[in-house]
Amino acid sequence: MKIRQEAFFLPVGGVDRFCIWRAPEVASEIRGLVVHAPAFAEEMNKARRMTACAARDFAAHGLAVLAIDLFGCGDSPGDFGDATWEIWVGDVVAAVEWARARAEGPLWLWGLRAGALLCSAALPSVRQPASLLLWQPVVSGTQYLTQFLRMKLAADMIGEARDRGGVKRLREMLQRGLPLEVAGYQLSPKLAAGIDSAEFAVSGELKGRVVWLDVSTSQPGSLSPATRARIAALQSHGVDVAARVVHGPSFWQTVEIEECPELIEASVANLRRKQERELSPHTTLL
Amino acid sequence: MHTRKEVLAVLDDVLSLKGRSSRFVDTTPLLGGLPELDSMAVVNVLTSLEERFGFAVDDDEIDGTTFANVGSLVAFVRGKLGT
Repeated sequence: MKIRQEAFFLPVGGVDRFCIWRAPEVASEIRGLVVHAPAFAEEMNKARRMTACAARDFAAHGLAVLAIDLFGCGDSPGDFGDATWEIWVGDVVAAVEWARARAEGPLWLWGLRAGALLCSAALPSVRQPASLLLWQPVVSGTQYLTQFLRMKLAADMIGEARDRGGVKRLREMLQRGLPLEVAGYQLSPKLAAGIDSAEFAVSGELKGRVVWLDVSTSQPGSLSPATRARIAALQSHGVDVAARVVHGPSFWQTVEIEECPELIEASVANLRRKQERELSPHTTLL
Repeated sequence: MHTRKEVLAVLDDVLSLKGRSSRFVDTTPLLGGLPELDSMAVVNVLTSLEERFGFAVDDDEIDGTTFANVGSLVAFVRGKLGT
């Protein structure tokens, strides 16, 4: 199916956000709505090609896809150092509202890595039934912040500057209100605190499915014990979860820009399954 | 478990070595020897090792010598696994 791509700026709280809307050219062919919540910092940049390829493919399969560059990220105005977690959650909510006004059909929030945390935080404010498409989701903001701060330690390690305080000392600096520069990103104490307290959770109000896709270079890949435990917890709360490991490179962190076609295929298969279920038996197809 | 093989697979994936790691020996230098191994890559290698082997690394357990060469990194992982 032919698709239409449109780049534009969406004003949120008086400041623009760069967005790309990709949808079937013929509006009546739109079968669902996907809003992308991007990964954090360098992971977003590394994954930019993959998410663009996926969005085009989703659109070619009848889905309208909105990708937003969060405040201070990508091609959106603002400084990364001024961003907060709350602003970003608001960006995702604003993106959903804009997209919903443009297209009908079941809503998916599509989160990559830390974008999954944003999806989960945005859900209560989205106030409509939604499903989640998660790509290698980050589920603990605390753990993720630690991994991010390590990058600063690793840089010191390579430069042979001895830093014996570790991540603990970096966290203390943030708590004292001092911003840190990590891997070229100015991390404000406010943003760090927001990430630190973020935890993936969905409540009964989800009213949709969770499709959880992890990527592994080993074949056959298996879900990590931590992931399995998290999925079991979701299921015990009555959430409909489909989880799979696909084969491919960790494109959000590889040195070269990589692609993972299997991940896109698995996503399309799941996005379409949902539509088919919703289209029957009360919907008349022309 | 083929710890060495798994460690090389992680390096190959994260550093986009496209199979170059199959020629690596224990004395192949990592830090200073592989231009791909910058600070982000070091952290991503550690994160991938943690996820693949299911252990957690404390900051004070690692320094430049851990990533000196393939042998030192494999030895570090074996130490974490207690094998």
